[in-house]
Formats: sequence, structure tokens, C-alpha cells
Amino acid sequence: MTVRATIYSIFRGRKLATFGALWLCVIAIAAIGAQFIAPFDPLEIDPIARLTEPGLPYLFGTDHFGRDTFSRAVYGARMALIIGFGSVIVALVCGGLIGLLSAYFSTLGHFLMRIIDVLMAFPALLLALVLMTLLERSVLNTVIVIGIVYATTTARIFFGMTLKLKNEVFIDAARCSGASHSSILFKHILPNLWSPLLVQASFIFAFAQLQAAALDFLGLGLPPEVASWGNMLAEEKIYITRAPWLLMFPGALIILSVFSMNLVGDAMRDSIDPRFKNDIAGV
Amino acid sequence: MLGYTVKRLLTLIPTLLIASILIFLFIHLIPGDPAAILLGDSATPEDIAALSAQMGFDKPLWQQYLLWIKNVLHGDFGNSVFFKTPVLDVIADGAETSIFLALMTMFWIVLFGIPIGILSASFHGGWIDQITSGGAMLFASIPTFWLGLYLILIFSVGLGWFPSSGFPSISDDGGLTNLRYLILPSLTLAAPNAALIVRLVRASMLDVSREDHVRTARSKGLHPARVSIKHVFRNALIAVAAAFGFTFAALVSEAVVTETVFSLPGIGRLVVQSILRRDYPVIQGVILFIVLLYLVINLLVDLAYARLDPRVSLQ
Repeated sequence: MTVRATIYSIFRGRKLATFGALWLCVIAIAAIGAQFIAPFDPLEIDPIARLTEPGLPYLFGTDHFGRDTFSRAVYGARMALIIGFGSVIVALVCGGLIGLLSAYFSTLGHFLMRIIDVLMAFPALLLALVLMTLLERSVLNTVIVIGIVYATTTARIFFGMTLKLKNEVFIDAARCSGASHSSILFKHILPNLWSPLLVQASFIFAFAQLQAAALDFLGLGLPPEVASWGNMLAEEKIYITRAPWLLMFPGALIILSVFSMNLVGDAMRDSIDPRFKNDIAGV
Repeated sequence: MLGYTVKRLLTLIPTLLIASILIFLFIHLIPGDPAAILLGDSATPEDIAALSAQMGFDKPLWQQYLLWIKNVLHGDFGNSVFFKTPVLDVIADGAETSIFLALMTMFWIVLFGIPIGILSASFHGGWIDQITSGGAMLFASIPTFWLGLYLILIFSVGLGWFPSSGFPSISDDGGLTNLRYLILPSLTLAAPNAALIVRLVRASMLDVSREDHVRTARSKGLHPARVSIKHVFRNALIAVAAAFGFTFAALVSEAVVTETVFSLPGIGRLVVQSILRRDYPVIQGVILFIVLLYLVINLLVDLAYARLDPRVSLQ
């Protein structure tokens, strides 16, 4: 199937998922062109304009430092994409490899999956919190920690899917024709797992946003000076009674983006190989 | 059944052992001298050396681990550096709040999650289904703390219906009416989890409704509502029960945030505060406790699963 036909089959008759995909395009445009779209410097402090109500020239109002909330939200989109893509890459590379290798080499797998099982006994946010105490607050470390947290579930899912494929006839055929282990793993098994991989990626992307926001809120996520939606909520939470709109905009942006990503993931899940459909745990 | 239970109990031991090593390593990999961090900037080198010796930080790592695990097995989790009281007492102090919060949250989840899930599956594909399952996904996309903050703004600050923070023990003045302090927190905590249950009930009911015995029930001319409840839902409930362990993990994660938003003196807030205070004995103890609880709940779920569904073989 061509890319166009695939996209058409995913979104046909799904108005909500189409809306979600469009919203994610808006976020991507805002993230890429942040310096052209944001009317103000997101870090510029203006003490005279503290806690201004939404209007002109401050579309979303200003925070308690007098920074323009709209500009910060636009730059926050960039941070959301960095967190999302970063965590997905870490989770899929680490988790995917562990799952794939564990299913294929059963002795190694026995040991590795044991560790994964133990790590899965740690509730996600708790694991992230403990790992964050080991590391300094930085964008890279937040991405790595969230990625590791979701690498555990990803490893489990890939383990299951690879086990199912491992006993298929075409793998036997490849083995009989003298294919090496790496060729079987990466040329015969992995290509079958691309589409479930993509679906899993979309759910990790969505959960990573919520996880990052929670870490920011608890003061153990991104450094406080970074303009992210989570930090905007964390810094302004004590002003909620004086300026209720302040938390409305970053909150709504998180909700809309997570919701959209979940919708797209859900739509994609329905179009993947039915053998793997129940392996992917989304919302 | 007994053999299976014993076998599962035995597999808990290595899992717990690995978990305890991981927790221990996490805490002891933190860069810097723990004694110096605990004492702060004003400490003299003598003070630091004395505390190191007292806490055993000067011994090799494996000796420290063995000492810790030996004490844990004797029920001694060490003393909190911040409170100066045993870690177990600190955990016990938070238990009342967290247990009541969990019970009330479960109540909302069952009250809202299951009926809405049944509704969604029974009208599969129709507008009711689209609204309920779309709404459930929307609720699962809301950051817990954001929802909590706005519930406080509307119902505590605005309308003044519920207190906004804290939780006095039910043995204090007010007795059971003190539970009103937990209404907003439990609703906050229930929202995303009830949403997950809605999706789960819907998905497993749709799975069951494709089975032959359901078609038989329908072709007998049974009322659709009766088929939905007696034939589909009852079987789907097994899958919902099996997901309880997963729900518990999600609940703990979000309780950490919710208890912080509402300043509840529970175990979740204890975790965050201990991490911010670098109170290592408490962090180690609480996390080990939560992991143990999670493993025990999962074991009970598996055993219940085998009892509920005779098709499940225990091998």
C-alpha cells in the first residue's frame, strides 16, 4: 500500500482522529516556527505587566513575572515535541532491542525479562521520580528517564510479538537457507513489527507528555527556566485564584495534544496486523 | 490450587530480592557523600565522618546492602533522618489517609466506570458509544494535578462545598465526617482511572459479544439488556478483574501527584517529600513497601482469576 492509501485507510470515517492529526500538525508547525510565531521573548520579564488578563497584545495574558503566556506556550510546543520524540526513541530502541533479543535468545531472555518484570512492579511515576533523583534536572535526563520507564512495557510487548513470529514457517525457511541470527532478527522479524511499533510509539508519545508534566509539577522534571507546558503549570499554580486563566491555556494544550495522540494511536491500532492488536496497550 | 499458590509465592522471593537490590542501588548511586548531603553545608568533616560511621556509609556497598536486607527481614527499616522515628512508623502514619483515599477512589471508579462502559459497549457504534468512549479517552488525557487544581478552585474556593487541603484523622474531632476532605482528591484520582475502566469494560464486552453463546442467547429472543448484563458483562468482568493489578500501579502513580496537590498526609506525598528532603531510609522503605504491595495484589488477582474463570489452567 502506498503511504497515501495507508493514511486514507486509517482516517477514513474517523472525524475525531482526523481532528487529532490536524491538531498535532498545528503543534508541529508551532514548534518548528516558534521564533517566528511567538510575538514576545518567552523568557523576557516585564514586572509592570504582571498577571495581565488575556487580550491584546498578550493573547493568553501574562504570568507572575510578566512573561507572555502565548509566547511561552508556543515555545512549550517545541519542548513537548522534544520530550515526546526523545522518550519514544529511548523507549523503542532500548525496549525494542531487549524484547526482540530476549524472545529470540531464550537463555538471555530468561534473565532480561526477569529484570523487566521487576522494573514493571515499580509504578511508572515512582520509577521516574527515583531515577530523577540520581540525575540533575535537565531536558536530556528527563527524556532518558521517561524513555526508560516506557522501555519496560515496550520490551514486554516486543517480547510477546517476537515469540509469536519466531515459530512461523517463514522464519524456519530463513534459518534453513542459512540466514544469520542478525539477518533473521532485523530482516525477517523486525520488518513485520514496524506498524505495531508505530502504534506503540504514539501511545508512548502521549503518556510521556503527562509524565513529564507531573514531574515538572513535583519539581523534579525539566529545569525551571525551560518554557514547557508542565513548568508553566508548576510555576503559576499558586496564582490560580488570582488569575484562573493562567493555568487554563497550558492545561488545555496538554490535554488536547495527549487526546489527539491517543486518538491517532487508536485509529492506527485498528489497521495493524490483527495478530498483534491485543499486544499493544493504549488507553 | 494449593500447589499453584505455593509456587507463585516462591517466585515472589527472587523478584523481591532483585527489586530490593535495584532500590538499594538506585539510592546509593546518587552522586555525592550521603552523610554530607544529609548534614547540609554547615557540617564539619568530623560530623560527616561520625554520621557515616553511624549509618554505615563507610562500609563497602555489598555489606551495606546485606545489613539493610537483614534488618528489613527483622522488620527494621531503619530510622527516618528527617523525623528521627522508625521508617515503619512514618509509613504507618500515612497509611490511614492513603487507604481511605484508595477506597473512595475505587468506589467512584466502580460507580462511574463500569455502568458507562456497559452503556458504551451495548450501543456499540452509535452516538452514545462515540460520546462515552471519546469522553473516556479525553478524561484519560487530563493531567491529574491540573484537574485537582481546578476542582479546588471551583468547589473549595468558589462554592465552598469542600475543604481544599489536608485530612484530619477520622479518630479526631468530626469522626467520619472528616472523610469530606477526601471527596475532591478521590474524584481527581478516579477520573483518569475510571476512564481506563470504561475503555476496558467496553473492549472486553465487545470481545465476549462475538462469542457463540452470546449469539445463542440473542437468537433465543432474550431481551438485549439481559444479554448485555447476564451473558456479556459477567464474562467480560473477568478481564476487568485481571486488569486490577495494572489499575493499582496507575493509582499509586497518580496518588503521588494528587496527595501533593491536596496536601494530604498520605504515603504518596511522603515519597515526594522524602525525595526532596533526601531522606534515604524512608525512600528505600516506602518504595520496597509499594513494590511488595503491588506484587501481592497481582498474585491475589491471578489466584482470583483462576477461580473466576474455570477455563484458565494453572499450569
